[in-house]
Amino acid sequence: MMDVIQQLREQAKKLLEEKKVDLVIGFGQGTELARTTPVFIDSPEGVSKLTWGPFCANNLAKYLTDYKNAPGNIAVVVKGCDSRSINRLLDDNQISRDKVVIIGVPCSGQLEWQKVSAEIKPGASLKEVVDNGDSVSVKTDAGDYKFDKKDYLLHRCLVCENPNPVVSDLTIGKEQPVKNYEDRFAEVQALEQMSTEEKNAYWDKQFSRCLRCYACRNVCSVCTCQTCVFDQMLPMWVSKRTNLSENTAFHLTRAFHVAGRCVDCGECDRVCPMDIPLRKLNQKIHKDLGDLFESPTPGTKPGLVSPLGEFSPGDPEEFM
Amino acid sequence: MSNPTALTPYPATITKIDVEASDTKTFTVVFDDPEIMENFGNQPGQVCMLSAFGEGESTISITSSPTRGKFLEFCVRRVGRLTSVLHQMEVGQKIGVRGPYGNGFPYETMKGKDLFFVGGGSALAPIRSLIDYALSEQYRSDYGKVEILYGARSMDDILFKSDLAERWPKIHNTGIYTTIDREEEGWKGHVGFVPSYVEEVAPSPENKIAIVAGPPIMIKFTLPVFAKLGFKDDQIITTLEMRMKCCLGKCGRCNIGSKFICVDGPVFSLAQLKQMPQEY
Amino acid sequence: MESRVVNKGQISELLDKLAKDYNLIAPIKEETMTLFRRVSGAQDVLLDYNNSDISPKGCFLPQNEKTFSYMYTGDTLEINKPEGVQKTVLFGARPCDIKAILTFDPVFEGVKFGDEYYSNKRKSTVIIGLSCSKVLSTCFCYAMGGGPCDGTGSDLLLTEIGDKYYVEVNTEKGKALVDAYSQIFSSQGAEQLAKDKEELAKKLSGEFVRKVDLTGVKEVLDGNFELPYWDGDNAKKCIGCGTCTYVCPTCHCFDIFDYPTGDFTGDRLRCWDSCMFPEYTLEAGGHNPRPTRKERIRNRFMHKIKYHLDRYNMVGCVGCGRCVNKCPVNIDITKIINDLKEVAQNV
Repeated sequence: MMDVIQQLREQAKKLLEEKKVDLVIGFGQGTELARTTPVFIDSPEGVSKLTWGPFCANNLAKYLTDYKNAPGNIAVVVKGCDSRSINRLLDDNQISRDKVVIIGVPCSGQLEWQKVSAEIKPGASLKEVVDNGDSVSVKTDAGDYKFDKKDYLLHRCLVCENPNPVVSDLTIGKEQPVKNYEDRFAEVQALEQMSTEEKNAYWDKQFSRCLRCYACRNVCSVCTCQTCVFDQMLPMWVSKRTNLSENTAFHLTRAFHVAGRCVDCGECDRVCPMDIPLRKLNQKIHKDLGDLFESPTPGTKPGLVSPLGEFSPGDPEEFM
Repeated sequence: MSNPTALTPYPATITKIDVEASDTKTFTVVFDDPEIMENFGNQPGQVCMLSAFGEGESTISITSSPTRGKFLEFCVRRVGRLTSVLHQMEVGQKIGVRGPYGNGFPYETMKGKDLFFVGGGSALAPIRSLIDYALSEQYRSDYGKVEILYGARSMDDILFKSDLAERWPKIHNTGIYTTIDREEEGWKGHVGFVPSYVEEVAPSPENKIAIVAGPPIMIKFTLPVFAKLGFKDDQIITTLEMRMKCCLGKCGRCNIGSKFICVDGPVFSLAQLKQMPQEY
Repeated sequence: MESRVVNKGQISELLDKLAKDYNLIAPIKEETMTLFRRVSGAQDVLLDYNNSDISPKGCFLPQNEKTFSYMYTGDTLEINKPEGVQKTVLFGARPCDIKAILTFDPVFEGVKFGDEYYSNKRKSTVIIGLSCSKVLSTCFCYAMGGGPCDGTGSDLLLTEIGDKYYVEVNTEKGKALVDAYSQIFSSQGAEQLAKDKEELAKKLSGEFVRKVDLTGVKEVLDGNFELPYWDGDNAKKCIGCGTCTYVCPTCHCFDIFDYPTGDFTGDRLRCWDSCMFPEYTLEAGGHNPRPTRKERIRNRFMHKIKYHLDRYNMVGCVGCGRCVNKCPVNIDITKIINDLKEVAQNV
């Protein structure tokens, strides 16, 4: 992992020195041992802030639209899943290809920092992280720890379609094999088996916890509306009130609004402070799009047409 | 004394509606309970929360002076949801009113002094309460010369037309200066922006307080004019606006630094404003 | 100050009794979450927990609260306020969260304007605190004037020691409660437990790993509103969600709006709001005094470490660590405090 970090810093430095980019968005050490935070580097001296490892959960492609109208070029560090966002943003004309330098880093899975943190002696400082394939060794000044991936991976990483970036200008690190610890749609299938009443009860319980902090929406790399319908004041579609009906309206609208564009990065799931399994909603849509239209996961290739973004006279119109 | 029931408005009835401009109306409002009307105790420069039930609440300054009688006047420009609903209302309809809130103008310390009012656009509304207070029969002798310099975008946009043209000029020792931004057919008065007109009129700072209210851009260019004329920061008073929800210093949004506009303002001297962050 | 002892074996009995005699709010487990909810008896209560995901501030300032309902009938307008509040026990609140309630008091029970909704709940609620048994890596209450076993603000403070709870009776309200259940609260062995508790408090206070020191931070902010620091990474990485504010035990901002229930009837509600949302300060005319995330972040952190202090002489942060834990992009108030100290050296 150290050599990846080293190369990452070198490449970033080169890009900044040669003025190929004005800003590098990457991962830096966070305020917890097992945590990183997005860093924004605008000078070659700043590259030492860059890091890499199994604690780089954030999808940094999210930030590209913040710089849509800014002058200059931007380099961004992406994992395989994040790189799908880039394709999607390009297809949506949200970013221009010539303004972005994509630094792809093959990824062997991201760990859940809270779970890892709970095991490590508080206050310990990180010495080294080693990827052993099915486990990760975390070496600290307070001892060494080993975490089995199947127990500590972020839920979304148990199944990974693209460990390697699907689009990049430069790739740093070894290509990673596809490794799945469970069936991609196992959870969705379990939900599908439920009766309508059971499904209602399940989702009512989840949605009733929602605080409507909008972290799921704000973290989404393909939520790119200038004014979200949920923020609109005239007319006001939802209020600040949290109740089951408004919460449900919000979550279903959100899921459907990214249907066919959601790249399944799983960030909505990760950031929910109330642990609402939001990705299941999106996964249900992915599964249906696959079953009905043989549609691949959005963003896996550039120029993929979303079955929900296209109309052809031959489309079945069974619902009309 | 602490008022724990402050979030509850009192029912009130609209008794009169004056159309001031195409987007502005003045509503005269009387509380349904005469006792509340009697003891409301509003002071010039204070504000109220107006409720149109079903739509919510909005902060509106009281444009009438308490010296004019037992009623409240609110001059409302149609800009958002609540004000649009108010504009559809008719005489006799019920609204909710709670208040009065805010510090109001320091009318006691202004006694014995000349007052020079500068208003831009709809901001004549909040200062009108003090103009009428100082021009009231009861308190007229407490203040020196009262001058009002008012600028509007066009003839149609001029608020309180009869006050400016008839009522105020008739009162002893007043001066009224009205200007519009651009030439217009039928307008014989001054044409030009407020800051340059202030420079032209050139009020002397001697024993005088300037009360300035208007859009931020007008304030920005008018304050240096007063400084040039020799006004000290504590001789310049202004009144601010920010989004408010409770008006009680609790809901959080109208802070400028540690101050809440709703309870510590909306009236500040330039000397006070210079101590505060420029975040309004 | 008086003290009592409760055998662990009797805690269920106490909780069952409290649930019968009061509206009992206590920590529960809902799937992966620890939340404060109304419980019907001891079986639902989670006694062994680190800290709840959401603070119990909702006991006093619910996320959704009806302030009154309105009804037009012909020519009259009727305004009806909700019925009085129930006698409540808030059980198991951690010291940091109780301290947070103390930061609410001057806001809602102000000199000029009180708040009947808040005060009524505050008056009719007995707060039974529960000392922490563990210090988490995100905890920093010690730096905000609190501590894992600090009973400030509680009516009773329970501290788990071996097979007993040591009970500190901190107020008249607390005294009335222990007297009412005198068969559960005994006095035997209290002296020894008092010493044990001191030991525990000392031990825990040595376990904090986050170095936070507020000294001098307010002073540098007092004279420096425009610091280039606020243009830095925090403003760039913030995604503008409301997580930090909703999980924060001292955030008290709210919105007020109407919720029609018919053509002539409806409720006026006040609901939690977040200063991190752009609409929070957006005026009807389109002007926004805090237009970007930079201003919003600055305002939020200034509120915690300066404005609340200026206004009420209390820090607006209690060091519960929730925002540190939950922020999707790891914006960390302790880092901001430390960064500002560094900035202060160069100002």
